[in-house]
Amino acid sequence: MSCLAIHGVVKSFGGLRAVAGVSLDVDDGELVGLVGPNGSGKTTLLSIVSGQESPDAGRVLLDGRPIQGLSPTRIARAGLARMFQLTRLFRRMSALENLLTAGRALGLARPQAAARAAELLEELGLSRVADLDAGHLSGGQQKLLEFGCCFMVPPRLALLDEPFAAVHPTMKEIMARTIRRRHAQGQAFLVVSHDMPIVAELCVRTVCMNAGAVIADGPTRAVLGDRKVIEAYLGGEAA
Amino acid sequence: MARPRALASLGPALPFALLGAVALLPLAVSDSYWLGVLVVSMYFALISSGWNLLAGYTGQFSLAPAAFAMIGAYTTGLLCVYSGVSPWVGIAAAVGATAVIGMALGRIVMRLSGPYLALTTLSFAEIARLVIANSYNVTRGDLGLNVPGLFEERLAYYYLFLGALAAVQVGLLVLLRSPSGLYLKAIRDDEVAAASRGVDVVFWKTAAFTASTAVAGLAGALYGHFSQLVSPELGLITQSGLVICMVVIGGMGTLVGPLAGAFLVYLLSEVLREVGGVQLIVFALAVILFARFFREGLAGLARRAGLGKLA
Amino acid sequence: MLNVDLLVNGLIVGVLYALMAVGLSLIFGILKVVNFAHGELYMLGSYAYTLAAAALGISPWLAVPVALAVGALVGWAAERLLMRPLYAGYSSWGLMRDEYAVVVTFALSILLVNLVDKVVGPYPRRGPALLDLPRMPLGPVMLSGQKLVATAVGLVVIAALTLSMRYTLWGKQIQAVAQNRLGASLAGIDTARASSAVFSAAGALAALAGALLAPIINASPDVGAFPAVKSYVIVVLGGMGSMPGSIVASLALGVLESFGAVYVSYDYRDTFGLLILVLVLLVRPQGLFGERGRVV
Repeated sequence: MSCLAIHGVVKSFGGLRAVAGVSLDVDDGELVGLVGPNGSGKTTLLSIVSGQESPDAGRVLLDGRPIQGLSPTRIARAGLARMFQLTRLFRRMSALENLLTAGRALGLARPQAAARAAELLEELGLSRVADLDAGHLSGGQQKLLEFGCCFMVPPRLALLDEPFAAVHPTMKEIMARTIRRRHAQGQAFLVVSHDMPIVAELCVRTVCMNAGAVIADGPTRAVLGDRKVIEAYLGGEAA
Repeated sequence: MARPRALASLGPALPFALLGAVALLPLAVSDSYWLGVLVVSMYFALISSGWNLLAGYTGQFSLAPAAFAMIGAYTTGLLCVYSGVSPWVGIAAAVGATAVIGMALGRIVMRLSGPYLALTTLSFAEIARLVIANSYNVTRGDLGLNVPGLFEERLAYYYLFLGALAAVQVGLLVLLRSPSGLYLKAIRDDEVAAASRGVDVVFWKTAAFTASTAVAGLAGALYGHFSQLVSPELGLITQSGLVICMVVIGGMGTLVGPLAGAFLVYLLSEVLREVGGVQLIVFALAVILFARFFREGLAGLARRAGLGKLA
Repeated sequence: MLNVDLLVNGLIVGVLYALMAVGLSLIFGILKVVNFAHGELYMLGSYAYTLAAAALGISPWLAVPVALAVGALVGWAAERLLMRPLYAGYSSWGLMRDEYAVVVTFALSILLVNLVDKVVGPYPRRGPALLDLPRMPLGPVMLSGQKLVATAVGLVVIAALTLSMRYTLWGKQIQAVAQNRLGASLAGIDTARASSAVFSAAGALAALAGALLAPIINASPDVGAFPAVKSYVIVVLGGMGSMPGSIVASLALGVLESFGAVYVSYDYRDTFGLLILVLVLLVRPQGLFGERGRVV
């Protein structure tokens, strides 16, 4: 049962072809990794899926409904949650308020939102800092908070853009643990990362992009050992 | 800095405490001139409250608040003079007109940020002022338009303005305590993140814009009937500058900030006017210092001095 | 012929607008903010020139560098005291840098206008002409001597600036900082000095415009308002941060206003630019030549 279906998406910026005809599916409850060297178009693809950009061509379907070109707000309400590569939070609002905003905007009533927020804060080890302004949290805490905001209302699909980048190993472990737990409960994920060990550990299936196109798509082991993938990262003939 | 969790929150009460004090002032002040000064302070307090919603809470720094006050004043003025309607109808029409125009402008500037937003609203304000000033046949241009009053007693105007100000504060409080308050602040802090969390950015930005222009229009209309003369000078960019001064000094992003700022700045300007016309120099300097060193304004300083949450 | 006359006059005005707009554009390019006190730099130049020539009794040709110096100094001070926090990281406005710049430069503008009003007095003062030339024919068109001189000086300065931006090390450093501040600093460029240099230069350019026009438009405390608004329009039309764009847009605006004043409406000649600004921003929020930033 396809949760997210991307068909032939193309996007150019001026003369640069960032995404050159990408097709990719994520099934219900799948945990898919998305890897590829810098500049391969991963973040652009994510932006197209979550609505910050609209594709020049191609379609994106969430639960069978086309979402390409819709506003990020509508896509979020359709059940897509996104975590950004450069952490985006409401810095002058408290951690708690960040979560509440996400919850209320997606339709939770006040008591439910408050309860959910408290749960998430507990789960992510952020209860202590609930009332601190988000801008004053440490980098790792901020990532965890942004991560938490994605789950105030369980999304159909969670898009995580480099959630492990520059994060303390302890935090990394908390995040990996949470992803694993939610995945076990049936949550679908598309995770962009450069952290190969964690991708290998978490994701059963991995897709690799290079220069705007998909060059490998299959079981993680196989993809990470694929010659083309290694060449893409190393930029030349692999030994 | 941790926000105190328990409600050491005098917050919501402060604006009303201030207004309460203003309500009692006529017991001590009976001089007509000074009552008038206080009325004008309340005029600015209204505009400032509206602008604060837009800039302090939603992050849209429009340079046109005074222009909308001017539009409100002329709406009611022209209606009363040419159609002979009651001033009360004129005031209602002014609020409606400025809300509609504000909604349109708000939609237009929605995609613009920072300097582009400032420039567009600045241009709009100037165009509006020039059109009104040049339409001599209809508006009597720079000579100003004579407008009927509402009451005989100055004191009646005083309490009318106070009532309007209190009503606006109540409205703002309700708005900010509801989830909308969260959405507006989210938009201010990070619009992209807000949208991706499901906040209807388009709607709320427009709503904030409309609310702020409607309040400015109300202020202008009331002022028109108070002074019984409306002129394009109401919409000068320097007037908008004064509003910005008041909110920055008083404290953006708090309810009491714009009120305190308006009263302080305007009353001080009256005092300084007698001393030698240096009021604008002092205020401009104050704004620069506050913006540079005390972004939170007086309200923020008070909060840090331990007076609790003021938002 | 009227049209040629209008065209030439429009272009002349355009050159003078360009002096203002180019500085504003450079400031935006390097600091990503609009300087709302730009008109006051023009005003200070106008006064510096007028007062230096009148009060100090020096030749008008020597008064021009005085004006340049004043503009450069005020520009430098504004950047050093007010703008540096923006990128040095100690502004408490965090991500709201644009808004900080709006408030602070707006307040600076009010401060300067009223300070001058208080110190020098509100009455307009006339600056002496650089050359006492009578109206001269230039081809089919009649021009006043001062306008001619002003335009010539303006053209020379703009040409010099364009060439130095493109070919000198200084110019390339500034372009680098404008394109990528962090990258430039990593490459060893002193970004703080570059920013100061730009703000000073912009101040000097605006002051020059003020000085050149002082004999034609009398110096008064609020004389800066009109040139300022024009430059905002131009910079948006030409693309914030694009020097060639600003120059082209300046000339275009000058010509447009010239024809518009005669063929459409004299009273509303100042609104054409504003209307165009609003229209352009509706369609292209980044201006005609600007670039759309990456959203994420």
